[in-house]
Amino acid sequence: MDEKCTQLWQKLSAALKPHVSADTFKRWFSAVELAGVTAKTLSFRVPNNIYQYWIESNHMAALEGAVLTALGEPREIKFISSETPVETNAAISAVKESESSRDAKPSSSFGLNPRNTFESFVIGPNNEIAHAASLAVAQAPARTYNPLFIYGGVGLGKTHLMQAIGQYVIAKKKNTKVIYLSSELFINEFIDAIQHNNLVKFRKRYRQADLLCIDDIQFLAGKERSQEEFFHTFNTLFDGHKQIVLSCDRPASEIANLEHRLVSRFEWGLTAELQPPAIETRLAILRKKARGMQIKLPDEIFEFLANRIRSNVRRLEGALMRVASFASLSGKELTREVIEHLLKDILQEEARTSITIEQIQRKVAEHFDVRLADMTSKRRPASIAFPRQVAMYLARELTKSSLNEIGDAFGGRDHGTVLHACKLVKRRMTEQDNIRQTISFIDSSLQR
Amino acid sequence: MKFSATKEKLLEGLQQVQNVVSTRTTLPILSNVLLQASDGAVHLTTTDLDVGVRGSFEADVEKEGATTLPARRLFNIVRELPASEIQIDVDGKNAASIRSGQSFFKILGLPEEEFPPLPKFEDAKVVTIRQKDLRDGLKKTSYAISTDETRYVLNGLLFSFKENKLTLVATDGRRLAMVDIELEIPRSQETDIIVPTKAVTELQRLLTDDGDVKVSVANGQIAFDLNKTLLVSKLIEGNYPNYKQVIPGEAKERVTLERETFLNSLRRVSLLASEKSNSIKLSFGKNNIDITANTPEVGEAKESLAVQYKGRDFSIAFNPEFMMAPLRNLTEDEVFLDLIDEMSPGVLKIQTPFLYVLMPMRISS
Repeated sequence: MDEKCTQLWQKLSAALKPHVSADTFKRWFSAVELAGVTAKTLSFRVPNNIYQYWIESNHMAALEGAVLTALGEPREIKFISSETPVETNAAISAVKESESSRDAKPSSSFGLNPRNTFESFVIGPNNEIAHAASLAVAQAPARTYNPLFIYGGVGLGKTHLMQAIGQYVIAKKKNTKVIYLSSELFINEFIDAIQHNNLVKFRKRYRQADLLCIDDIQFLAGKERSQEEFFHTFNTLFDGHKQIVLSCDRPASEIANLEHRLVSRFEWGLTAELQPPAIETRLAILRKKARGMQIKLPDEIFEFLANRIRSNVRRLEGALMRVASFASLSGKELTREVIEHLLKDILQEEARTSITIEQIQRKVAEHFDVRLADMTSKRRPASIAFPRQVAMYLARELTKSSLNEIGDAFGGRDHGTVLHACKLVKRRMTEQDNIRQTISFIDSSLQR
Repeated sequence: MKFSATKEKLLEGLQQVQNVVSTRTTLPILSNVLLQASDGAVHLTTTDLDVGVRGSFEADVEKEGATTLPARRLFNIVRELPASEIQIDVDGKNAASIRSGQSFFKILGLPEEEFPPLPKFEDAKVVTIRQKDLRDGLKKTSYAISTDETRYVLNGLLFSFKENKLTLVATDGRRLAMVDIELEIPRSQETDIIVPTKAVTELQRLLTDDGDVKVSVANGQIAFDLNKTLLVSKLIEGNYPNYKQVIPGEAKERVTLERETFLNSLRRVSLLASEKSNSIKLSFGKNNIDITANTPEVGEAKESLAVQYKGRDFSIAFNPEFMMAPLRNLTEDEVFLDLIDEMSPGVLKIQTPFLYVLMPMRISS
């Protein structure tokens, strides 16, 4: 037993003593030695296998508790008996291993990404409230805002905040039962429970949680039995003063096919919105991320990325990653052109989402030299009607608006009119090269 | 081979051996019983290659010979036959014709040569025990054998033949039962062996109140010769853990209990012990024990027992099933419960050499 082990064993013994009787300690633990320490396991050497059997059966909880107190985190515990031959010992521990991994799954840190903590979250005016609310919930679960409902678009940090809450709670109080999962997984497990007729086990699992985090709750929409099950889970937890955290891509009231009693419950606690980050926040995110990845980039590159990628933090990080890896792989100097080429698809995609019908109208009006008002007016001489049709076509191609919305934006026109315009423009594009060129020119100038 | 016997005798003979027959097996011969007719008796043998049993019954043997027949099927037929006299006639192709009164059955068997022979015991260590003593000892200990297959050395009963006594030990890691049987054992015959659960169960069925049993141990096998029947079993390889380590030191408190009264109280109170925590609490006060169990959301139970007790007041919790198991299997009127404190194991004793160590459960405050 080397010195490190001796010291650790002393620490463990001290933590263990209050939890077992003096006789037990003398009888079972005084002859135990700590034989090896790794990041995941502790190996104890015992004089013969009765020590292993008896400690495993009777004092495992106390020993695990002591490990937690002394090391601050759980470790897998193995026994080496000087009596047992090596291979049977390995077999036994292999069985134990599979058992413990099976057992460990539903309990503590299941599914939480250790990188998603409050420390790594960049706060800006867009997410201040959500962050503050999450932190408050994590510090005092079930006492401040219950349920906490976080919503916002993709890649804005919903999952990050939820996981941060989970990890904060676990770090503060080890044996809190935290369950984090997506609503899709919840539904699948529910179906599985129905199939295999172990609903009781399913209920037990979720209704005994101290903190239940369900991501992407909008997927519950339209699943009636799952909603009902979730409704009861929700009530049980809420009545038992357990914290519930939910995330969604839209406000609760806008989830179609969600029962009203659920909607009203979701709105019961605090609803916090995550908005796309402003330019300053985006810069801060990029800098923090770059520091985390240990890469150095000139300020103008950061600014360029922050400027051009607005909608989504995940995409922002992806772009940064791409730029960084390109820099380290090719060793070329990063100029604006190089980056623009490198991120062509992302930038284009980004531009596409941010194009509005109004921008299109303005651009088209400018190009054909007609008044912007003509776009929405009732007049329809060919000199005005055709540009209007082109604008409608572009609106259809470049925005996600529906035919009706486009019709409305063009002075309350019928969706059939828009459809007709699109077909017409498409046909004329195939027939006349100059029209195709004109339109692709407007298209690319819009996307820049 | 041809013989006739009474239904009673035949059934009795089959009952002794048929438990060993394995129902699911890749070797069809193992689900058969070997019948050997000679000298006014028919010998029956069954085996699953781990445990084998050989018995016999009296019969009127007309033609000597041997064959094997499907054990379970034969047993079911014999049990249902209406008349008391049964005649079995086996032809050269191992097809058996069974006649009894108006009934006639024909079942197909397998040749005798395919049946695996029971192991031979040469240079064996031999000890003789009174059947009654061994049966008593097995009853007091066998319930504590572990069923956890990962701890295979605990899946059997330790027979320790040493210092002129046979010590039987069973433990599953939470409790331990131990019995000593006085015996004369020559130094040369001393040994420690682990007998698997299945053999222990079968042996308990075969042992009677009269006569002796001759125990032979050789080459990883054990044979129990009960004169008329013989049980042979493989032993569990490995060393039994040092069970003495488990037995606690000197007790601080001792309470004398009437076994049946105590058992009945426990049985009633345990009705309200929850499956999850599954513990019942014994609270000791002056000349009184309160036995309580409670399950949140279900209810609670409490019973008081008047006892001779002058020690300090304290409470200890046990698994009710583990506490009741020895009480069911003992026959004595009085038992002694020795305790140290609420975190140390309790020990159940009787007047004769017997010991039952039981780990307490944590009392949730």
